[in-house]
Amino acid sequence: MYRRYGVKRRSLVTAVAAGTPAAIVLASCSQGSSSGGQDAGVVTLNGDRADFTDAYELAGAELEKITGYAIEPRNVPSTENYQQVVRSSLQTSSTTDLVKWWNGYRLQDLARSGGLADLSGQWDSAAEKGWVNPETRDSFSYDGKVYGIPMYKSYWVIFYNRLVFDEVGIAAPTTWDEFEDNNAKLRDAGVTPLFATQEAGWTSSIWFAEILSKLDPQFYTDLTAGEAKYTDATAQEAMRIWAGMYAEGYFTAADVAWDSEPSLLASGEVAQVPMGTWRNGTFAEAGLGEGEYSAFLLPPFDPATAPSVIVESGSISVAEKAPNKEAALETMANWLDPAVQRPWVENIKDTSANPQVTTDDPVLETVLEAVSEQEPTELVRYWEASPPALIEGGVQHLGAFMADPTESNIMPTLENLQSLADDEWARWDAGS
Amino acid sequence: MTLLEKPRAEAGEDRPRPRPGLPLSTRDRLSAIPFLIGAVALVGALLLVPFIATVYQSLTRDNGFTSTFIGFENYLNLLENPTFGRSVLNTLMWTVGTLILPVGVGLLIAVLTNSVPGGRWLKYVFVLPYALSGTATAVIWGFILRSDGALNQAIEFFGGEASTSGWLLSWPTNTIVMIVASTWQATGVTVILFMIGLQAIPKEVVQAGELDGASGPRLFWHIILPQLRPVTVVVIGMSIANSLRVFDLIWLLTKGGPGASSETLAVTMYRQTFILSDYGTGAAVAVVLSVIIVGASWFYLRHQLKRG
Repeated sequence: MYRRYGVKRRSLVTAVAAGTPAAIVLASCSQGSSSGGQDAGVVTLNGDRADFTDAYELAGAELEKITGYAIEPRNVPSTENYQQVVRSSLQTSSTTDLVKWWNGYRLQDLARSGGLADLSGQWDSAAEKGWVNPETRDSFSYDGKVYGIPMYKSYWVIFYNRLVFDEVGIAAPTTWDEFEDNNAKLRDAGVTPLFATQEAGWTSSIWFAEILSKLDPQFYTDLTAGEAKYTDATAQEAMRIWAGMYAEGYFTAADVAWDSEPSLLASGEVAQVPMGTWRNGTFAEAGLGEGEYSAFLLPPFDPATAPSVIVESGSISVAEKAPNKEAALETMANWLDPAVQRPWVENIKDTSANPQVTTDDPVLETVLEAVSEQEPTELVRYWEASPPALIEGGVQHLGAFMADPTESNIMPTLENLQSLADDEWARWDAGS
Repeated sequence: MTLLEKPRAEAGEDRPRPRPGLPLSTRDRLSAIPFLIGAVALVGALLLVPFIATVYQSLTRDNGFTSTFIGFENYLNLLENPTFGRSVLNTLMWTVGTLILPVGVGLLIAVLTNSVPGGRWLKYVFVLPYALSGTATAVIWGFILRSDGALNQAIEFFGGEASTSGWLLSWPTNTIVMIVASTWQATGVTVILFMIGLQAIPKEVVQAGELDGASGPRLFWHIILPQLRPVTVVVIGMSIANSLRVFDLIWLLTKGGPGASSETLAVTMYRQTFILSDYGTGAAVAVVLSVIIVGASWFYLRHQLKRG
C-alpha cells in the first residue's frame, strides 16, 4: 500500500509540475473575450488604450453621421495581452472589424501574415483630399500596399517645466550648446535636468534615438533600416554624447519608475522630459496648469545638420476576416475626415494625422508652430523602425547601458546590438 | 510518513482486500474505471494535453501566425544563448536562496516566538506579509529599492552613502535583493507550518530531554529539530516549487533587466513567448523548466520518502 500511494503522489506532483508552465503558454492561445460578437449598425474596434474609449465614441458619433456606422470600442488593458489577443484572433471570424496597431515594422509583421485588408484605396482617396501627408505612406505599407490608416500623429519633443526654467533664468534652447548650458544651470540649481529610465523596458530607447537622430538623421534612418551598423563611428559618437551627459549628472537614476515621470515634472524635481505628444494630457492631469509647462524640439547636435523630429503614429487596420468588413472599410475611408478628427484629437489631447486639423491646446500649438517653422525631416520612431524582435532585444542592451553608462561599456553594448541586428535581420528577411 | 502509515495499515485490516500477489479480476478493474474518469479527464485536459502541445510547439518555429517543424533547433539555440545561461544561474540562485532564507528564518522565528512571552502575537508581524499578493509585494519593495527609494533615503538620513549603482540595476545585487523581498513575503507560511510542527511535539519528549541534561541549542538540535522533520519536508518542497516558478516579483521590479541580468527561467519563458512572439523558443524554455521542476520534485520526494 505504501508504495502504491507513493507512486500516485509522485505522479500527481509530476503532472502538476509539468503542466503548470505548459498551461501558462497555452493559456495565451485563448482568443479572449474582447473579440467578436456585435450589432450590424456598428463596427467593433479592439485596442489597448482604455483611456481612448470616450474619444472612440465621440469619433464614432461623427462617423455615424457620414457612414451610418458607429464605433463600438473594446479594450484589452495590457499591451502584451492585447498583442496576443490580436495575433490569435485576427485570422478567425471572431476578430473585431478594426484593430488598433502600430505603424512601421510592427504593422508589416501583422500585414504579412495575411490577416489585414488592403487599405490602399482609402489611403489614396484621403491623400487626394489632403487629409494625410503622402510622404508617410511607406510606414503604413507592406509590399507596396497600405494596411493601416494613421490614428494620430505624435511628435517626440522635450516637455519642460516653465516655472523651473523661469526660476533658474533660462529659456527653451534653440541650439545644442544652449541645451547643454541649460542642463548645467539646472543641475547647479539642484534640479535634475532630464528624465531617463530603463524601468519600463522600451523607455531605454528614447535617449538613444533622440541623440542619434539629432547627430545624424540620415544615419538614424539607415541604422534602423539595417543599412548601417551599430558599431559604426556615428553610433559610437552618439553613445559617447549620452555617456558624457550621464557623467555630467544630467539624468535621473536608471530605475526611476516610468509612472512617476509626470509627477516629477509637475513638482519641478525634474525640469525636462523627452516624450511623445500623446502624453500631453497626462502632464495636465498631473497638475501642470496652462502656461506652467511647454515643449520644444530638441535642436540638432551641429547647427549645420538638418533639423529632424521623431514621429509616432498609432494605426487602425481592418481585419481581412472582419465580420462587418464593408462597413469597416467605409469607416476607414472617412476616419481622417476633419469632422471626425476634431473631436477625436481634442479628447486625446494629441495632434491629428490630418494636417488640416488644427488644435487649440497651447502646448501642441507651440509644437506645431516649431514644426512649421523648422520643417524638420520626420523620422519613424525607433520602436516601429526595425523588426519587433530586434527592437525588443535592443532595448534590453540599451537598458543595460543605462545601468552602467560608462565609456568602457559603449563598445560592448554596440557589439551586442550589432550581433542581435545581424540575427534578427536574417530572421526577418527569411520571413519568420 | 511512519505516523501516517500506521492508521492506514490498521484500517485496512478491518475490511476484505485482495490477498497479496493475487491480481485484481478484470471485473474489479472495469468497475474502478467510472470512479477514475473525472480525475483523469481533469488532469488530462488541464495538464497533460497542454504539456504535450507545448512539447510539440517547442519543436517548431512559431510566430503566432505560422508554424514550421524544426526539430531540436530551439533547444540548440537556447544552449548557445548567454541570456539563457544567466537565466538558469539566476533560477539556481533563487532556489538556493529561498531554501536558506524563508526556511531558515521561518524556523528561527517560529522557535523564538514559541518560547518567549507574547510571542504568539509577535509572530503575526512576520505572518502578515503572507496575506499580500506577489504584485503588492513588488510595488512595496519597488518603493524601497529604487535609487530614489526609501532604503537609499534612510541610508543618507543616517549619514551613510547610498548605493550609486542602484539595488536593482546590477547583477547579482538585483537578484539577491529580490530574494530578500520574496523572503519577507514568503516567510509567513513557513512560520505557520513550523509553529504547527512545534505544537505537535509531545511535551514528554522535551521534558525527557531536559531531564537528561539537554538545554538551549543542544535541546533544539537533538530533540526538537528531529521532531520537526515531517513539517520540514513539506516546507522545503514548497520552497523549491515556489522558487522555480517565481515571476511576478521579478517582472514588476526589474522586468528581468537591466539587459536580462535578473531573468529567471519563468521570466525568459514569458519574454520569449509574449514579448518576442517567439512561441517555439518560449515553449522550449517551458519544457526545460518543467523538466527541472519535475526532476527536482522527483529527486527530493523520492529521497524523503525513502528516508521516511
